[in-house]
Amino acid sequence: MSSSAPASVRTRLSLQGRGLAEAAVERARLTVVPRRRTRAPKVPFVTLVSLLLLAGVVGLLLFNTSMQQASFTTTALEEQATNLAAREQALENELDELRDPQRLAEVAQKKFNMVPAAAPVFLHLGTGKTEGEGGAPGAPLDLAPDRPERPGVLDPAPIITTVESTTTTTNGAGNGRGNGRGNGRGDGEGAGATGRTDQQQSQRQQRQR
Amino acid sequence: MRSGFVLIAIVLSFFAARLVQLQGLDPEQYAEMAAAEGSVTVLLPAERGDILDRNGEPLADSADGLMVVADPTMTAAKAPEVAKFLAGRLGVDYFRTLERLRVEDSRFQYIARQVPARIANEVLSDARELAADATEDAEQAKQDGDEEARDEFEAVADAYGGLATRRDPVRFYPARDVAANLVGFLGTPNPDGSAKPSAGFEATFNTHLAGTDGEARYQVGAGNKLPLGDNTVVGAVDGQDLTTTIDRDLQWFTQRVLRQTVRQAGGDSGVAVVMDSRTGDVLALADDPTYDASRPLDYDKDDYKSRAMTDVYEPGSVQKVLTLSALIDAGKVTARTKLRVPGSLDRQDRSIGDWFDHGLIRLTLAGVLAKSSNIGTVLAADKFEDGQLRDYLTRFGLGQRTNIGVGGETAGLLPDPSMWTSQTQDRIAFGQSVSVNAVQMAAAVNTIANGGVRVDPSLILGSAVTEDGDEVGTDVATTRRVVSAEAARQTALMMERVIDPEIAIAPGAAVPGYRVAGKTGTAQRAGLGGYDGTFTVSFAGFAPADDPRFTIYVVVQNPRNGGGGGSVAGPAFSKLMGYALRRYAVPPTGTPASRLPVEW
Repeated sequence: MSSSAPASVRTRLSLQGRGLAEAAVERARLTVVPRRRTRAPKVPFVTLVSLLLLAGVVGLLLFNTSMQQASFTTTALEEQATNLAAREQALENELDELRDPQRLAEVAQKKFNMVPAAAPVFLHLGTGKTEGEGGAPGAPLDLAPDRPERPGVLDPAPIITTVESTTTTTNGAGNGRGNGRGNGRGDGEGAGATGRTDQQQSQRQQRQR
Repeated sequence: MRSGFVLIAIVLSFFAARLVQLQGLDPEQYAEMAAAEGSVTVLLPAERGDILDRNGEPLADSADGLMVVADPTMTAAKAPEVAKFLAGRLGVDYFRTLERLRVEDSRFQYIARQVPARIANEVLSDARELAADATEDAEQAKQDGDEEARDEFEAVADAYGGLATRRDPVRFYPARDVAANLVGFLGTPNPDGSAKPSAGFEATFNTHLAGTDGEARYQVGAGNKLPLGDNTVVGAVDGQDLTTTIDRDLQWFTQRVLRQTVRQAGGDSGVAVVMDSRTGDVLALADDPTYDASRPLDYDKDDYKSRAMTDVYEPGSVQKVLTLSALIDAGKVTARTKLRVPGSLDRQDRSIGDWFDHGLIRLTLAGVLAKSSNIGTVLAADKFEDGQLRDYLTRFGLGQRTNIGVGGETAGLLPDPSMWTSQTQDRIAFGQSVSVNAVQMAAAVNTIANGGVRVDPSLILGSAVTEDGDEVGTDVATTRRVVSAEAARQTALMMERVIDPEIAIAPGAAVPGYRVAGKTGTAQRAGLGGYDGTFTVSFAGFAPADDPRFTIYVVVQNPRNGGGGGSVAGPAFSKLMGYALRRYAVPPTGTPASRLPVEW
């Protein structure tokens, strides 16, 4: 390495150093502004934030509670609505059954002695004239339903026993008990049981006689 | 310091592995487990559509219902107490219930099915109260230190807690046997509460009626929906109502009149059809014997079907209406054509006779129909060209299903052209060797009432799709001209003479004040190996004759009182027609009655 090159660098640096020094002097005239200390009270701020936080939490809690409450009410009201809908359906069905043409016809024929008309007669309101012959009223309709045939087990033949006057009281009591027990049971077995009980009883009665 | 980082790295890598396991390997299972925690899935039942009559009156109606079920593992210990409670509240049999409450190795037993929701809910909430009371007593006993009493009370609480309800919809048939053969019924529902259609429209239109169940899934806490929890609802799609063309009151009246007629005649069965002449709507379609749709199990299974659609029979002389109107339309004869009718007519394979003994009589075509002469009809039918009668009858709808939406319909029997000989034609002309179902025949006769235009009969108002995918109903009913309006008018005038008291074939079918056109039919019934000596008697007609509104067809199978079409079915026709005309306020036309000559 030659020594001339560093010498020139140094000269340039010294020139720059002078410039910097001048600037430093210029800057040295500025003074630092004394730090201003404002002692804002911390307590209100913290209180405010805490209160907001607290209010938020409590509000949320209350809101949640009220929503829960509403949910309880919803459940209760929904149950009530379901019950009322079921009731409405039951009433509608009752109404439908009351409107059953068969029932109406039975009431009309039996209670009010009505019969089906033969043919209509038309009255023209403008002229006051009638049209049609009408004819004699028809006979009452046969309304008796078809009786479904039940199997013998469900429909046992009635057992008729004639009871002599001397033994009336004891036998009567026995019969009463037997029927009561039999009917208390179900359709199938119960009816069968009734038959059997009665039969046994009638046998017993005959033996007594 | 470094070892600290390593430690953290190890811990984090564990977390990462767990994360991969949760999210990567089986995320769905965990999601499901999380969702199931505290969440409830509730079935939202779709309501089955009602079956209505043309005025919106219900023929079949749905209501919410519940089944009461028990868990015998919980109830067995205190079965008598619970059975007593249930027998008293639900009206079930005590002993049977007791057995069910004690069934071993079971956790599910039916106690009562299809209980109206209100009653079932009341019973269950009472049972819960009893369970709660028993639990309280048990607490009390525990405090008192009475171990035995505590166990006792806990068993009671358990037993009442072992009762539950499930969905079990109820189907009502408020009019019972009215249109039961058409409507059908639902059998006892499947265990999951879904309907099990067993007959009639309930089965044919099950998809249309059923709807689709929905589902709601939400999170619960203490039996209440969590307001901010997950909540998904898939709404139920209710089934559609099915509106029929049936008029419930008229249907009821028709069934009663038919039943009375069949009973009085000592017949096997009967069918009655009431049609609106102009639209083809079937206003009433009665079968006898029938059954009560709300108690179907009490009746014979054979009575569930609609005989009007499934049974075939030979129509007999009612067929002459079709034959003669076709002849008039073909221009071969008129109502006044003069015929010499001998006492018997020998044909290739046998001789044809009339129902009444006569020598050579001179009848007009009107007289042939009015007096129901087989010989006269055969003589007139000789004028047909080859295949012409069969074409006409096909156009009248014979030999084809009406497809009105009733399952199991028969097509009837119209012989194939290859089997069609002149002897066959002779017999078919007066209603033998051809089989029909009642609705088919009513629609054919209605063609005359409707001025020669056949309109498809309908049972469904609007339209609906059957389980087989056919669209049926008034919206898709078609019409076609079969005979000219003039031919229909002449035929109607001829048919009017059947009712004429002077000719006395069927005076009982008259409706006072109205012009009525009709035709009797008395046909031998084919059993195994030929005609068995029993008869099918029928009457088909319409009124008012010059402006028809209703076509009514009454058929009674095998009457044992010796009556014919005029004396058995005629009076029933008269009652039904009188009722229909009154119900729909159809005034008499007031025109003079037909005076077509019957003899010359």
